[in-house]
Amino acid sequence: MPQTIVRPPGRRRVARGLPGGWGFYTRLAALSAFDAVVLPFVITLFRDQEYALAGAVGIALLLINFVVLVERAYPLRYLLPGLLFMGALVVYPAIYNIYVSFTNYGTGNILSMQQVIQQLEAQTYAPPGAPRFPYAVFETEQGERTLLLTAPDGRLLVTVGHRVVPLAHVSGPEAVGLPEDPGFRLDVTVDENGNVVRIGDARRLERREVLQRLSALQHLELDMDGTRLRLADANNFQALSPRYTYNRAENVLVDNATGVVYVPKDGFFTSPDGERLLPGFRTTVGLANYVRLLTNPAIAGPFLQVFVWTFVWAGMSVVLTFSLGLGLALVLNHPQFKLKGLYRSLLIIPYTIPGFVSALVWRGLFNTEFGQVNRVVQALFGTVIPWLQDPFWAKVALLIVNLWLGYPYMMIVCLGALQSISPELYEAAYCDGARPWQRFWHITLPLLMTSVAPLLVSSFAYNFNNFTVIYLVTRGRPPIAGAVTPAGATDILISYTYRLAFESGRGADYGLAAAVSLLIFFIVGTITWLNFRFTRAFEEVEHSA
Amino acid sequence: MKSNLRFGLALLMVLALSAAALASTPGELLIWADDTRAPVMEQLGRRFEAEFGVPVKVTELGFGDIRSQLGVAGPAGEGPDLIVGAHDWLGELVVNGLIESIDLGPLAADFEQVTLDAFTWGDTLYGVPLAFESIGLIYNKALVPEPPKTWDELLAIASELTDRERGYYGFLMQMPDPYHTFPLFSATGGYVFGTNPDGTLNPLDVGLNNEGSVRGLEVFDDLIESGLLPVGTDYNTMTSLFYQGRVGMIISGPWALGGAREAGIDFGFTRIPTIDGGVPKPFVGVQGFMISAFSENKLLAEVFLKEFVINKDTYLAMFARDPRPPAYKPALDELEDNIVVQGVRESGGAGVPMPSIPEMGSVWTAWSDAIELVMNQELEPKEALDLAVEQILGLIRASR
Repeated sequence: MPQTIVRPPGRRRVARGLPGGWGFYTRLAALSAFDAVVLPFVITLFRDQEYALAGAVGIALLLINFVVLVERAYPLRYLLPGLLFMGALVVYPAIYNIYVSFTNYGTGNILSMQQVIQQLEAQTYAPPGAPRFPYAVFETEQGERTLLLTAPDGRLLVTVGHRVVPLAHVSGPEAVGLPEDPGFRLDVTVDENGNVVRIGDARRLERREVLQRLSALQHLELDMDGTRLRLADANNFQALSPRYTYNRAENVLVDNATGVVYVPKDGFFTSPDGERLLPGFRTTVGLANYVRLLTNPAIAGPFLQVFVWTFVWAGMSVVLTFSLGLGLALVLNHPQFKLKGLYRSLLIIPYTIPGFVSALVWRGLFNTEFGQVNRVVQALFGTVIPWLQDPFWAKVALLIVNLWLGYPYMMIVCLGALQSISPELYEAAYCDGARPWQRFWHITLPLLMTSVAPLLVSSFAYNFNNFTVIYLVTRGRPPIAGAVTPAGATDILISYTYRLAFESGRGADYGLAAAVSLLIFFIVGTITWLNFRFTRAFEEVEHSA
Repeated sequence: MKSNLRFGLALLMVLALSAAALASTPGELLIWADDTRAPVMEQLGRRFEAEFGVPVKVTELGFGDIRSQLGVAGPAGEGPDLIVGAHDWLGELVVNGLIESIDLGPLAADFEQVTLDAFTWGDTLYGVPLAFESIGLIYNKALVPEPPKTWDELLAIASELTDRERGYYGFLMQMPDPYHTFPLFSATGGYVFGTNPDGTLNPLDVGLNNEGSVRGLEVFDDLIESGLLPVGTDYNTMTSLFYQGRVGMIISGPWALGGAREAGIDFGFTRIPTIDGGVPKPFVGVQGFMISAFSENKLLAEVFLKEFVINKDTYLAMFARDPRPPAYKPALDELEDNIVVQGVRESGGAGVPMPSIPEMGSVWTAWSDAIELVMNQELEPKEALDLAVEQILGLIRASR
């Protein structure tokens, strides 16, 4: 490998300054400011238990510091942004994808076990006929709160710490105090209607003030002679017991009402007789997704048909767009051709319109009854074509749309490549009496291929997974009659995957989708590798460069 | 795709830590609503804030995004306290542990029963119904002065009006579209899922190829074969022709009426004609509020719903923005004379809530494919539906 980054001599002194010079301190200040901004994020992520992400951001931060501060790492400055983005946008999702393919992540199992335990433990149940206690809140200037509860029989109860005691015990003529402190008294102020308005320094809060504090109050747990009281709704406390208790040591969940023990199994807390508690949680399932993929008759069913069409689609797309693009490029490149600029601009238009807009417009144009395409066809041939209903014509329609979307790119590429072919070669060929066709076949095409072949291979790989066009124009339709699982005649592997993962079963099945996408990755990877190997595309480029 | 989303969200979280308003925060309500409901919620929020000093923030999201984002943002601690959603999300949201049950107490008596049923999972209520909708027969009074009562009458009117050369159509419906075709199925006894003795749906009892369902698809097939119904009609084609006054009758819902009103079409909205004497039962869809399981303010959200949302004025204000009949009876009674309300009540009154169990995800594509294969004249209705049910059961069994 040649040294790619060459530091111009003298640049170091000019741009970076001497250690201790202004430049150095400016750089240090900027770096400190940057660190000060990013470091809290790392800490917060760590606190939120997003360890992987915290680690990744932390390492990135360290790298940035290293690169800015260490002399030797100077060339890395140019590479690092690219590397960081590659890590964030390619490597991380890829690793995550692989991880997901070994889990049961999908509808019904999207929470972590921790979250499920939290949710189940937060569920409460009230013993039948448990009374409700309306309450009032008293708060001092310092924010200390005392609650006054009204029992169903009209008796008033008051909180001392978390304990609930009858108000009569701690205030008034018959007060007896608390068991451990017989002298304990509360100083209660009553207005002319008999309502308690103050307890000690604490003022009775209005309802709006209570509501403002409701989200704090809903976590309160009061103790009334051993009975736990919690907020049942905004206006009442009630004796509520937690429905489930998680036993960390044995990793089981116990139903406090029935005593049934639930053990975590296949992503659900499951009772001995197989009853599952909702919701389920994410868990690793080993190779289960891959096994399902390979043994499921639903998937093995229309797979072959989809597989073949995927190849035809990607191959035809490349051949057609390249042929048309090259043809137009040759015409535009002809010395006697006038108004080149104008035609070139016009021909590039399809490239400038967002692909999904074009795709949807084409879908409308291909409508059998109302579409413009069939109006023209009818005027010319007196018949209509069932564009989106017939498997064959739907494929033709798709290829036409992709031709429209793809030829400008090929044209631009070919125009550029044609410029690089030396005119002397044509002159020599002309002198040797070669016809235009021979000149094209023996000079233009081979020389063009050296620079364009890698693009053709990548275009093939791109179209192999060109979900957008398929989904927007035909949605994979028309359906294949007699398929074991819903599949369409124009489905390619990736759109078929989408159906399997998101439009079947119980909704989204990310685990299976991740497994299929890995499988597709291996297919595309192999094809691309073989392609490059046999066309020797890259090597040729290196030689010609 | 989802992993990117997760990562993006995490990144967003990193970047937006200061903007804590994005997430459910104790003592502050965050509502996710779609563009039609968001303005009304904002108004209510301002009143709630003025009265109780509790800030209410409303974030506007695409209706479908609310569902998908909740599954990502909720567990990450970034979600809202309250969402506006559709009842058919219920199964997914409940099995994913994303929403909280609600006890309406005596207030429940003021709601249309079908809307409460729709938001009930097992025997627990998970939402406060807002509005409901169903499809019916929308007709242009200039072309069809008196709506047909039976399917034969509909066919007679349609054949008289249809002139495809000139671009006039007696009757159009969108296709292949299970939702809009279901009334034909259900009129003669077709159903999607059968019920267990305890009233819940049984995903292994699929009735889409029973006699009634087959009869319904035959009715559809006849429309295509007789040339009354052009193959491949979609919603946009259907409505734009209807707005031009070129269509006598369509099967659609309240959402198609705004455009008709703007186009100056004098329309009627009523029940779909009976087939073989059976009344078509369209799916009833219900929108409503749900409380996030990850809310820090569950009780506060309940207060907001019970004391601010559940009243006649709110429901009427919602109706003014979005012409779906309110689920709240006092508001509904006020709107008795409204043509949309009458139509939905008449047509949807006989309807069934759209199944909300997650297994419904296996049904749509296979069902739609069956309709399409019949539409394309590739299979006979019976064959197509047998195949579809086989596919559906296969998918459901594979996912268990």
